[in-house]
Amino acid sequence: MKLCEECRKEAASVFLTLAVNNKVREVHLCSVCAARKGVWQGTETGAFNSSDIVGNLSGYFKDFLPAERKALRCGACGLTYAKFKQSGRLGCPDCYQSFEPQLTELMLRIHGSSSHTGRTYSGPGAPPPSRAEAARRAATLKTAIQEAVKKEDFETAAKLRDALKQLEGRDG
Amino acid sequence: MAEALKKFRPYVTWANARGAWPDMVFSTRVRFARNLADLPFTGRAEPRQLDGIRRAAFTALKETGLFPRGHFLKMESLGQLEKGFLAERHHISHGLAFTALPAAAVISNDEDLSVMVNEEDHLRLQCLGSGFAIEETLNSALKLDEALGRRLPYAFSGKFGFLTACPTNAGTGMRISCLAHLPAMSRLGLMPQALESLSRMGVIARGIYGEGTCVLGDYYQISNAACLGRTEEEFRVNMDRVIRNLIRQEIAARETLLKGHAKLHTEDAVFRALGVLRHARTLSYGEFMRNISLARMGAAMGWEMGLDFSTFNQVTLLMQPAHIQAAAGRALSPEERDVFRADSLRKKLL
Repeated sequence: MKLCEECRKEAASVFLTLAVNNKVREVHLCSVCAARKGVWQGTETGAFNSSDIVGNLSGYFKDFLPAERKALRCGACGLTYAKFKQSGRLGCPDCYQSFEPQLTELMLRIHGSSSHTGRTYSGPGAPPPSRAEAARRAATLKTAIQEAVKKEDFETAAKLRDALKQLEGRDG
Repeated sequence: MAEALKKFRPYVTWANARGAWPDMVFSTRVRFARNLADLPFTGRAEPRQLDGIRRAAFTALKETGLFPRGHFLKMESLGQLEKGFLAERHHISHGLAFTALPAAAVISNDEDLSVMVNEEDHLRLQCLGSGFAIEETLNSALKLDEALGRRLPYAFSGKFGFLTACPTNAGTGMRISCLAHLPAMSRLGLMPQALESLSRMGVIARGIYGEGTCVLGDYYQISNAACLGRTEEEFRVNMDRVIRNLIRQEIAARETLLKGHAKLHTEDAVFRALGVLRHARTLSYGEFMRNISLARMGAAMGWEMGLDFSTFNQVTLLMQPAHIQAAAGRALSPEERDVFRADSLRKKLL
């Protein structure tokens, strides 16, 4: 007879197989502990609150986030860095600025990189491109204009020139 | 009972097994995590802010024109059974099913697009595709994201990309997942080793309903682990490579199960499983999943199972606990469910 791995008193009656952190893990619990841990709709779909069973994700953040002075908090939403470290959840978009150095380190650990290279957002309220980003885009546009002129595709060149004007106008 | 469920069809297109490799990949999912600019994330927002987000999301989603005759469901208007049904269809997470906040699920009529509103992030957009279909599914999800992004201001920074409540989702905010069916590798005990090597390829494996759920019927949800620092296209190419690699390994494992002496045992296991599915008078969901997994593999091996893959997939959806109760039209005790499941399965298989 297997004992419940939580209370170690009752016989285990709920046997679950989980894939956690790319390891197959067997979990065995008694019905009382399983219910307490939020096994959902009986054990049938086998869905439940994993963070509770397999150790909280926040352990992960605690290990990876640098230590910081106690008073550090987000100026916009008031979330303290200590609270973030504990919960693993940020409070608002501004937290990314408030904790930028710490997040840069964390991002390197979890994503292997700390800067976004994917699609950019240009919808309503999109932030103006940073100076470096604007310069990079301007350089790309200038090259494209030269190429279009070389091919005598003046229509495209004119459109690109408009885009360049707009970009530079925004900067100044 | 469950008024909202009456409008859902019994069959869904993303389970029709028309995509590539339907015997190894049940479905493909692409999701984007998005938040609205200048507002606290869901966990720190006031209920009135969340209510405003939900209203704005409903309006914007209607305006995209991608949800004609779609389902716009406020979570507080749904009962436990209806929420269970939506979770079993992979439209909502368990987090959303239990939330006390003003949250919602918006689902397109043919159920290939769905949006969770005020889950951990304000918006979780997802697109589901049949079989192994990363490229098509990604394109549809991008279309939804772009249409919505033109109407709602997203939280975005040049450095960290799309901003999310959990830093693990920031950047592209994109998660590509394939629901892989790997019965032969599981049978040969190859999964622990395979999962280990997935970590080295930037990929994670989870249970059938995503994070924190069990492995049932040898189904694994395989997704990209990181979502920052590479482009959407680079992540897509990597996932594509990883899944093709897994498919190759599963094919090799199936060949091993058909070699020499092993063949008799495989055949025996598969037909015994079919026997259980055809003749059981009471059948728990776990037992159903164990047996349908083998029967599905048997069909892929060319043995007569009496079902095509599309029906296998639909049956797999319909035998889930909340689906059983939706079909019965009322809440059932686990014992009643098991009898109802065995009965309705027998009708389909004989």
